[in-house]
Amino acid sequence: MVRLRTSFATYVSVCVVLVHLVLLPVLFFGMGYVIRKSHEDLFVEHVRTFARVLAEEFEVGVGLDSPERTEDLLDLAIIHGEARYAELLDQGRGVRSQLSSPDILSPRHTDLGFGQGGDDIYFIVLPVVHAGHNAELRLGFDEQPTRDRIALALGRMLWLLAAYLGVAVGIAVFLSYRLSRPIHRLGDVSRAIASGDYAQALNVSTGIRELHELASDLEGMRRELVGVNHRLQAKIKEKEISEVRREELQKQLRHRQRLETVGTLAGGIAHEINNVLVPIILFTDTALQDLPPSSASRADLVRVLAAARRAKDVVKKILTFSRELDDAKVAPIDLRSVLTEGLQLFSVLAPPSIEIRTEIDQGIPLVKADATLALHLVINLCTNAYQAMEGAEGVLTVGLRYQEHADDGSVVQPRVEFWVSDTGHGMDSMTVERIFEPFFTTRSVGQGTGLGLSVVHGIVESFGGSIAVESEIGAGTTFRIFFPAVTRAELIDDTAAPAA
Amino acid sequence: MHSILVIDDEPDVRDAVKRVLDRAGYSVRTTDSGVDALAELGRVRTDVVITDIIMPKIDGVQLIESIRKLFPAVRIIAISGGGNFGISAYQPTAITTTAYLASAELAGAHMGLTKPFESNDLIQAIEKVLGVGHA
Repeated sequence: MVRLRTSFATYVSVCVVLVHLVLLPVLFFGMGYVIRKSHEDLFVEHVRTFARVLAEEFEVGVGLDSPERTEDLLDLAIIHGEARYAELLDQGRGVRSQLSSPDILSPRHTDLGFGQGGDDIYFIVLPVVHAGHNAELRLGFDEQPTRDRIALALGRMLWLLAAYLGVAVGIAVFLSYRLSRPIHRLGDVSRAIASGDYAQALNVSTGIRELHELASDLEGMRRELVGVNHRLQAKIKEKEISEVRREELQKQLRHRQRLETVGTLAGGIAHEINNVLVPIILFTDTALQDLPPSSASRADLVRVLAAARRAKDVVKKILTFSRELDDAKVAPIDLRSVLTEGLQLFSVLAPPSIEIRTEIDQGIPLVKADATLALHLVINLCTNAYQAMEGAEGVLTVGLRYQEHADDGSVVQPRVEFWVSDTGHGMDSMTVERIFEPFFTTRSVGQGTGLGLSVVHGIVESFGGSIAVESEIGAGTTFRIFFPAVTRAELIDDTAAPAA
Repeated sequence: MHSILVIDDEPDVRDAVKRVLDRAGYSVRTTDSGVDALAELGRVRTDVVITDIIMPKIDGVQLIESIRKLFPAVRIIAISGGGNFGISAYQPTAITTTAYLASAELAGAHMGLTKPFESNDLIQAIEKVLGVGHA
């Protein structure tokens, strides 16, 4: 079975037409019957009255006695009574109007109803009694004019009904259009909502209560949907942010754990080596005292002692990494003077092919750090930078910048950024990732312990600061150390404490 | 002649310290544990104890506390190479040499010395703690 889908207006129009196709013929035939009947009744009433009047005229007048008079009266019936045939039979003698249609035969009966006889003539036979005469008046009236009037009336009615059907369909189309407009609007907005556009409001202006209520209900649902959608989106965003934050923290934790594990290991190794160095240094020392000044072995033993002292220094560096920072005295220091001193020391080392630039901002506050260790940081980073540019010309830039509201993800605190930038060979992302791990080095064996940047990292952390690195292969590297700045309040506390 | 007791679980360290102090004219005995050290102190009059801190059974800090309690006249020098025992004794916050020595001094040691040290450092330390006693 095929189910047709059509528009609301077409559907209503077709329904209206179908209803009228049933109703209008009933109406037409019903009303046609009434019209026909009334016309026929009127005709019969009229001709019977006329015939009665004429018969009475014969009875009271002299018509029967005078053949001329009789003929005149019969002609009168034809001329004024619209009869087609008029005859008077008196004692076997018939007088007939000369005006009668010659083709009509003399009937001897009276038609009982309109259209009877099938001859389009309505016959009436009336007795005329007057002074011994027993006459009969026979009249025939034409039915055709009445039939024509009935046909005309029916025709007009048909036109009227057709016009009515047209107007009815027009009104139906108009009303269905008015009805379907808000429904279309509801449909449009519903589709928009289904496709994700929640912005359009369902404000349908209609006088139809049910539609108005439906629109209000749908609008309520839309508002609820918009609310739920907003809440969901906010939740998703929140989740995404927390996910990113969690990953960041996990990454930091893994990094810390790795550094701590290696740090612990380094601490253990340092302990072992320190113990081994004690007999080496002490026995060599006593052996040197025993040897005569001329002994050739003296020089060798001096070298053993020197090598052991170097080993001691290396171990000291390892311990620096494993938080051997208790000696450090964190106090408010001026990074500008540290930087000046560091650059003075470094300029002795740096070859003339390297240009050193400084970019120091005005109004750099004091920072919390140890002056000696901070100097160590400056020299270490500058040395790294210079080594990255080794064998070529390059620019080494160092700078200080104050960040009053630095946000490192957890706390907002004022800090001073110390940065060292070189135009050296740069590092790939894998190297950058591992740069702060102990014993990770890019230099060839014998050129370094690989402790430099891990020590830098340890020192920076001991100040409560942080370190970041950006690098691009072939373009250069920038290290940034963020020192916690001393706030005005902290300065006042520090200067007030000794006085109290 | 001043009497010195050296306690360290490393034989090489014990022997090296003993060699230096013997030459400096001290009477030196050695043990490898805190338990033996306490027994030795009860047996022989001792002026100075030189003890390692990280040792099995009784560690240096406990030993120092016991000595201070039982033999208050004895001068104590703590020596340490710092660091941890390695991964098996993993400690989240790595304890440093200075932290060990600080805890030793807190327990009553008169002086702390970081390993490795030079002969002169050792002798100066002995003289210093003995000098404190004389003062």
